[in-house]
Amino acid sequence: MIPSPRTTTAATLVFVASVLLVAADAPAWCVAIALAAAAWRILVARGHVASLKPFAGMRFLLGGITAALVIAVAASFQTLNGLAAGTALLLVMGALKLVESRSRRDEGIVIGVALFMLLASALATQSLARAPLYLLAVWGACAAIALIADRSGALAPRAALRLSGRALAMSIPLAAVCFLVFPRFGGQFWALQRGQQATTGLSDEMSPGSISKLANEYDPVFRVRFEGPPLAQSALYWRGPVLNDFDGFTWRRDRSKLYRASHIEMLGPPVRYRVTLEPTHQPWLFSLDTVARVSRRDAFLSPQDRQLSVNDPITGTVSYDAESHLSTRDSGSLTDLGRRYETTLPLDRNPRARALALDLRARAGSDAEFSRAVLAWFRENGLEYTLEPGFTTLDSVDTTLFDSKKGFCGHFASSYAMMMRAAGVPARVVTGYLGGEWNPAGGYIIVRQSDAHAWTEVWLEESGWTRIDPTAVVAPERLTRGIFDLLPESLPATSTFLHNSAMLRRLDHLWDGANQWWQQRVVEFNERAQLNMLRALGIDSPSWQHLGWAFAGALLLWIAWISLTLRRGVARIRPDRIGRAWIRATRKLARVAPARAPAEGPMEYARRVGEHRPDLAARIHALATHYTRLRFGRDGSHQDIVAFEREVRSLAL
Amino acid sequence: MSAAVREVSGTLKANLRRRLGTWARRRQGDDRLPIVINSRRVYILPTRAGLAFAALLLVMLLAGLNYANSIAMLITFLLSGFGMIAMHLTHRNLVGVTLRAIASVDAFVGEHGRLLVTLDNSADTARLGMECEVAGSPRAAVDLPAGGSARADIGLSLERRGRVAVDRITLSTTFPFGLFRAWTYVHIKVGLLAWPVPRGRHETPPEAASGGNAPAVHRVGDEEWAGLREFRSGDSPRQVAWGAYARGRGLLVKTYQSPAAHHRLFDLAAVPGADLEQRLEQLSAWIVGAHARGERFGVRLGDQMLPPDGGNEHRTRCLNGLALFGTGESW
Repeated sequence: MIPSPRTTTAATLVFVASVLLVAADAPAWCVAIALAAAAWRILVARGHVASLKPFAGMRFLLGGITAALVIAVAASFQTLNGLAAGTALLLVMGALKLVESRSRRDEGIVIGVALFMLLASALATQSLARAPLYLLAVWGACAAIALIADRSGALAPRAALRLSGRALAMSIPLAAVCFLVFPRFGGQFWALQRGQQATTGLSDEMSPGSISKLANEYDPVFRVRFEGPPLAQSALYWRGPVLNDFDGFTWRRDRSKLYRASHIEMLGPPVRYRVTLEPTHQPWLFSLDTVARVSRRDAFLSPQDRQLSVNDPITGTVSYDAESHLSTRDSGSLTDLGRRYETTLPLDRNPRARALALDLRARAGSDAEFSRAVLAWFRENGLEYTLEPGFTTLDSVDTTLFDSKKGFCGHFASSYAMMMRAAGVPARVVTGYLGGEWNPAGGYIIVRQSDAHAWTEVWLEESGWTRIDPTAVVAPERLTRGIFDLLPESLPATSTFLHNSAMLRRLDHLWDGANQWWQQRVVEFNERAQLNMLRALGIDSPSWQHLGWAFAGALLLWIAWISLTLRRGVARIRPDRIGRAWIRATRKLARVAPARAPAEGPMEYARRVGEHRPDLAARIHALATHYTRLRFGRDGSHQDIVAFEREVRSLAL
Repeated sequence: MSAAVREVSGTLKANLRRRLGTWARRRQGDDRLPIVINSRRVYILPTRAGLAFAALLLVMLLAGLNYANSIAMLITFLLSGFGMIAMHLTHRNLVGVTLRAIASVDAFVGEHGRLLVTLDNSADTARLGMECEVAGSPRAAVDLPAGGSARADIGLSLERRGRVAVDRITLSTTFPFGLFRAWTYVHIKVGLLAWPVPRGRHETPPEAASGGNAPAVHRVGDEEWAGLREFRSGDSPRQVAWGAYARGRGLLVKTYQSPAAHHRLFDLAAVPGADLEQRLEQLSAWIVGAHARGERFGVRLGDQMLPPDGGNEHRTRCLNGLALFGTGESW
């Protein structure tokens, strides 16, 4: 069956739509091949270009091209297993199918390929912004299926869209219920390989300037919803990588420096919150101060520096519930090894800062007093908080404190921790985020890259590891306000514009809130959420059997609903004037004679009435004859019909 | 290998279809016109495209479950609902159709006979993509307008002289999405005659079998009033004598005759040759020729005879006689 230009165009357009959906995740050359094939196909269907004539060896040629393309994909990905490689394969295979497509069956296969690409796209991206695009693609595919199936060409594209749109709209309730109750299972039976991706945000090392690079990024890193009222901005120290190794310029996380941690005593009530973390491609989670509990099974809290990490880098958006204590005390003392590790410094670097530290320590009575003295020095020596501290040298601390006297949080944290260590006080740098933006539309806090921050933790005998934020004395306002309010002039104009327009900000909040809802209620809806839902519905010990029953019940209800809805309306064909007049006549006659039987013809009925009422026989016969002539003859003029109606009217019984 | 598989599956399918047909025949019994297709007699199964669609959905569902991907699952559920609605739509496209009338058009062997199936649609929406077929015929497609009717024209290639008996008409549809085929069997006996092909070596019949040979030209309007006869089904309402009907004389039809010109009698026994089929074909050629020339002629087949007459009806009657000669069926 040769497809019409219309069906070919429809199928190809659906194909193009799904190519565009996966374009971002596929190699450009595959996308180019697919789009070129689609364009060629449409031109052929519209008659602008001659179609490919089958020739001897065409199958071998196509087979050869297929093999070459598969090898090219395999070579560029080193594998054929994996989402990106699979998508690339779909693209080139779909393109080839378009080139050789000549029947309606082929077009059906093109639609199938398009739906597979839609699946690939859904596996790659589940964002709210994509959802309407997916829906449109599905709609287009269904309409194309209708056009392909329509052989007579009686179905207009608009009608096909309407028909499939209605069918899809009617299946939305089913899809929603199935989504809620279709039994799921945890775990995978086939793992998908995902490509390597660039990491974003904080890394596990910090050089002067690495934090300020993040400061002008407006992208959200994670969002936090508190159980109970949200904490004050200045309490929101979101801990990320803890850095314990300093070479005079860069702080790093050295995993080999392990020592036995002292026991941590949790003070005060816990703070409970839920974090939704965007993909960072790094293996750690963010949390407030000291985490007591976290809902991820693979999360691991390093006891020595209280850093929360997971086994594998975070490649998709994840959510976890956490419980933190803002105030803790280390009972016991730091081991000798720990003290040695946490005070190590290169001896030949930053001589001026080292001398200052030793001097201040000599004048202080205790470590705690010394830490306060250094803070006072930071406050009183005209240090400037800025995103652009200018030059730096290998002796970065000396440069910051004595030469440029300018720095961002990273510079101050680095300098402070270095000075502590120089005087033999154990200290480390903690990187993470400070504060966050309250989103009133969603009731949660958005933490952006621009909230990136670095501070220090110092071991003091009386309290153990204690957070000290030197930035707080240089720029105290940083504790309560974000970087966008503090240093607007050094940020990109677009981010500042978005941040400063109240309306745009409100829209941004609304959109962000909708995305969060989508992420938590739809994208991350899983087995556990299903069971929680059943529990909320009052089922004590929900199990997947309950889900099965609910699923079966919903399916039956839905089927009953659609079969009622889809029942065809019967056309109420209005009886015409002749018929109406005749019906009036039989009603009148029924008063004096037996009623007309449903299948009884007019002449027959007239005869029966005549037998019953011989006095009326002649008139009734004439009436029935007139009716028969009007109904079955060809010469029923308007006057004739009017005359018949008059005749019926005059029938007084 | 694949050919063998296809053959086996083809046989299997044909076998299943035959069994289903027999079962439906037993279950439904004989039908009488008009037939309203109710849901009790509508069967529905996925087409090949429908099975492929289902396979695609299964893959999507497994992918969605495996990767706990909500969007993939939502798309799968949406398309599953769509598939089920497609099934309902296909089913309801057929249910409620009325098969009102079946007319057959006979033809010569080697040509296509036709079955004209009139379908009524009482629904307020059109029914597109209805298909009619009988055993051995291609599917004839027809679209029914809302509240209207249309005629499906089934072409049946005629291979052998005689009566082609059709006892089952299959009415089906895959509209709108081609994912399901709904069908119904209508068990009605319809006969279709295959006339012998008009061909022969002799241009004109031998003199012995004819009563004159002067050519006469038959023109429209030459017809003479020939009286009334009783109405037979198939007569045009245009021919009905409504005046007589109104006078209570029953349904009568006005008939006309062309002026008597020549009377020929084509006798099978007089046709030279040994092969019966060839002799019948020769007779057929004479009949067609004589009719085209507007001549009056009669036909004698063995001990049965059609007296000389003219007109389309007579020609048909004669050809029917040829078609059924020797089959044991009366004509």
